[in-house]
Parts: sequence; structure tokens; C-alpha cells
Amino acid sequence: MIESFTLASDLSGYLPISLIVLMAIAFGIGNVVISQMLGPRRAGAVKGQSYESGMNAVGTARKRFNVRFYLIAMVFLVFDIEIIFLYPWATTFPNLAPQSDESLLWLLRILFFLFTTVVAYVYGFRKGVFKFD
Amino acid sequence: MDWLTPQVVTSVIVNLVVVHIILVMVAYLVQAERKFSAYIQDRIGPNRTGFDFGLPALKFLKGCLGFGQPLADGIKFMLKEDFTPSRVDKVLFSLAPVIVVSPALIGFVVIPWGGSWDGVLPWFSGDLSLTGGTAVRITGADVNIGIVYILAVAALGVYGVTLGGWASNNKYSFLGGLRASAQMISYEIPLGLALLAALLAYGTVLPESIIRLQISEGWGVVAQPLAALIFFIAIMAEGNRAPFDNAEAEQELVGGYHTEYSSMRFALYFLAEYAHIVTSSAFLVLLFFGGYHVPFIPGLKDLTSPDAVSVWAVLAKFGVYFGKVLLSVTLMIVIRWTIPRLRYDQVMSMAWQFVIPVALVLVVGVSLVIYAGQATTWNLLMVNGLVMAMTLIAAPLIPKSTMNRKLPLYGSRFSPMPDERVRTQSSESLALEDRPVEGSAPVAR
Repeated sequence: MIESFTLASDLSGYLPISLIVLMAIAFGIGNVVISQMLGPRRAGAVKGQSYESGMNAVGTARKRFNVRFYLIAMVFLVFDIEIIFLYPWATTFPNLAPQSDESLLWLLRILFFLFTTVVAYVYGFRKGVFKFD
Repeated sequence: MDWLTPQVVTSVIVNLVVVHIILVMVAYLVQAERKFSAYIQDRIGPNRTGFDFGLPALKFLKGCLGFGQPLADGIKFMLKEDFTPSRVDKVLFSLAPVIVVSPALIGFVVIPWGGSWDGVLPWFSGDLSLTGGTAVRITGADVNIGIVYILAVAALGVYGVTLGGWASNNKYSFLGGLRASAQMISYEIPLGLALLAALLAYGTVLPESIIRLQISEGWGVVAQPLAALIFFIAIMAEGNRAPFDNAEAEQELVGGYHTEYSSMRFALYFLAEYAHIVTSSAFLVLLFFGGYHVPFIPGLKDLTSPDAVSVWAVLAKFGVYFGKVLLSVTLMIVIRWTIPRLRYDQVMSMAWQFVIPVALVLVVGVSLVIYAGQATTWNLLMVNGLVMAMTLIAAPLIPKSTMNRKLPLYGSRFSPMPDERVRTQSSESLALEDRPVEGSAPVAR
């Protein structure tokens, strides 16, 4: 009985998603606007300072920061793109006939793909990208 | 009106219902968190805010075990001054909470809360005309990308956190935002890899099919406990939850990326955090804990099976699903208040040097088992156990960093000078627990 209805291959399945996206954005904006209107507003020279544990703020926060965060972002890109490519494979590969030539080909391809990432990982490891001390 | 199918109508209604359940749940999760932390720390917690609003006519609603606290908090958040410091980037500062809260509130839509429904209401004899004889799915969106959607949406939250930290133009916020974004993107990889290991075993991304497979083959956590563990760690780190809440470590960064936020914009960050916990718990339940199904209990077993389509079955599945989600969230709350926060370098090293390699090996192992065509529960469990054993054996062999060691402070009672006499007995019995090692100072490395 459950198998009788087909999967929504058209875009109508995304209609509820777009509605809830609009609702969520409206919820966020609405809450900010409402509390701006309802709350009091009292400005002050000292009040407007950024909070630095009660001291006078020294400079701005627009400063150079540790380059390690950039490295993390770059390594993340390598891994994340790899994982994205693995999803279509992960949904198809288990449905192939086990131990067939086609299945072996798919497995070896993805193992090679993973191997390239492992090379990148080992290179990063040797370069000390993953050392956080 | 071709697009207005019964499924779309049902999905919209389910979305509206579930988003309100989640919002109320978030409010009471804050209350639950305060109560749990209070009892763990031997306090009482909020216990006297009722629903009487100070009116004599509503005096009988006074107290209510403190259940009015979330409502009082909400009203207070609305009415307090929403202050914008003078040096912030005003547009991004207002936009960031919206960007944080929107993805958190839309992630749940592909979760199959209630299985399928045949469109019949027993107490309503008229023509419902909702369904044309076929069953509809009680889910927020019946799309064929399935759980990949949740992964895509959950990753969007990092933008708001980074933007909020940067726009605040405050050093605490900036560092908190940086830390949070680095941590979130780092733990996205083990999250994706653990999900991949589960998907390889299931061979599908459709939530309904995943639950069906778990009913016939056994829950995912039985077959792949390591994947479930990695997934659980990753969702806690993704949500910036303790013990991974370095982004808002009070001792170091005041409030982290929401230091400068006040009133409703702060509340949106808070709300997003808890909504994220609820969504990712629902995700965890779907992948590893059998979704809405309850095994072994005779009556409930049939009622919550995917083939039961009556309205009572739908309600039972809703209840079971949210019950499981609540259990997972409760576990997270208890973990937050019992395990101390990890240091930031420990969190990041754990992601890159430990969790990600283990998850990669796990994915390769699972795919080899699948190639052999032996993807039974036992074999998957064996692969998981093997990877775990390999990790435990290999972990001590990897050279540890010599930096960030605990430095001996010579002359203190834990590292006494060679000729110094240290009192190792105390009149107080409690003080004996951290008694130093008797003897001379350790050799400096």
C-alpha cells in the first residue's frame, strides 16, 4: 500500500520548503524589528563602547589574526568537496551487484579518489597544519 | 492548481505544526537546562514563576513549578533595549542573528515525523478530500534528496556565527566567531563521513526507506556504534555545545560571538542553538535509532510500524519520535553540565588528528564489506569494532606533541623543591584527595 505512491520527482515537493524558508526569515526579521520598536533606546558615549571587560577599548577588532584559521578553511574545502562527491557514490554503490566487475570498478575509483585526499592529509600533517599548540 | 497535491497540503500543515512544537520545545529546553544544571550543582533553579502575571484574579496560577519562566524570559527579551554599540557594522550586526536562526528553523522538514497517513479521520464523517485514496507522508517535504538536505542546511549556520563575531567589532566577539567557525567547519567533516558510513549500509537517502531498513535489519546504532558515536560527537561540536563550547568560553571570551548582543537579537542566537540541537537530534534518531519505530513492545510495535497508516498511528509515531529526540537532548544537557570544557587546541586536534582519520578508515571498511556483499548487521558491527580496536592500539604509538604540557611550578605543593618538606597530611579529609606526590621535584623535560 505504501509503495503505491511515487516519489515526487517534480519540484512540487520543494514548495513547503520554500514556504518554511520564508517563514523562518520572516520570524528572524520580525523578532528583531519588534524588539527594536518595543524596547527603550538610550544612547551614551560610554555605553556605545565595545565591551572589553570594563576597560576602555583599545583599538578595533579589525586586526590580523592567526593564519591557522585560513589553513583550516583551505583543508576543509579539500575534505568537504571530497565528501560531497562521495554522496552520489554512496547511494549507488550499495545497489550494484556485489563482487561484480562494475562494483569493483566503482570501488577502486573511489578508493583512488580517497587516496588523493589522504595524500593531501598526510602533506598537511607533515607541514603541521593540524597542530594546534 | 496542478502543484497543489495532497502531499503538498499535508507537508505545509506538518511544517506549521512542527515549527511551533520546536519553538515551544526550545523555550522549555532552556528551562530544562536550567533545572538540570541546578540539580547537578545542588541548587533548586527557577521554581516560582507562574502564569499569574501579577494579577490578583489569576492568583491560582501562581507558582506552577516555575513553568512560567520561559514565557517571562520571552517577554523580557522583547521588551529590553535592543542596543547597538556605536562601532559595529550596523547592517551585518542586525542581519547576523537572522542568518543564524533561519537555517536552524528549516532543517527539520525532511524528517519523517509521522510515517504515512491514509487521510481518514475516525471522528469526521464528511469528505476530507485531502487525499485521493493514496496515503500521504507526514513529513515537512517529500523530496528525493532526503537527508542530504539537512546536511546542506545545517552547514549554513556557520555564516551567521562568523558574521556576528566580525560585525560586533569587539575582540572577544571576533575571536569567538573565528573559533566557532573553525570548529564548526572542522566537525562538519566527521559528521559527513559518519553519515556516509550509515548511508553506505542503507544504500538510500530517503528517510522512510532508512527507517524501514532499520526495522528489518536492526537499528543503525547496533550495526554501526562507532559511526553513531562519531556522529553524536560531531553534532555536539557543530552546535557549539559543551564540552565543545570554546566559542563562548566565559573565562576566556566573555560571551564569544554574542558578547555585544542584547535583547531579541541575543535571544535569536540562543534559540538557534537549541533549535539546532533538536534538529540534529532528530537526524541522529532517524539515522541510528530507528526513527519513529518502537521494537519489542507488542501493541506499540505494530502501531509504529511504517505500514500502520491510521491517524492514531501517526500520533503515536509523532510521540515516539519526539520522545526519542527528547532523550537525546537530555543526554546532551547532562553531558554539558557534567563534563568539563575541552581546551580549544584539544578540540581541534581531536577533530583533525583523531575523529577524521578514524571516520575515513571506517568509510573504507564499510565500503569493502559492501563490495563483498556481506553487509549484515554482524559484519558491520565487526568492522566498527575492528576500526575502534585499531584506533585504541594505534593511538599510543603516535608521538604526542611536547608542547602545552602541564608545567611544574617549583616550590608549589605539587612540585616541591628537592629539599623542601611538604605537608601531605591535612586535617580536612577532603583536602587529601588532591594530595601531592611525596618526594622531590620532577625532572624538567
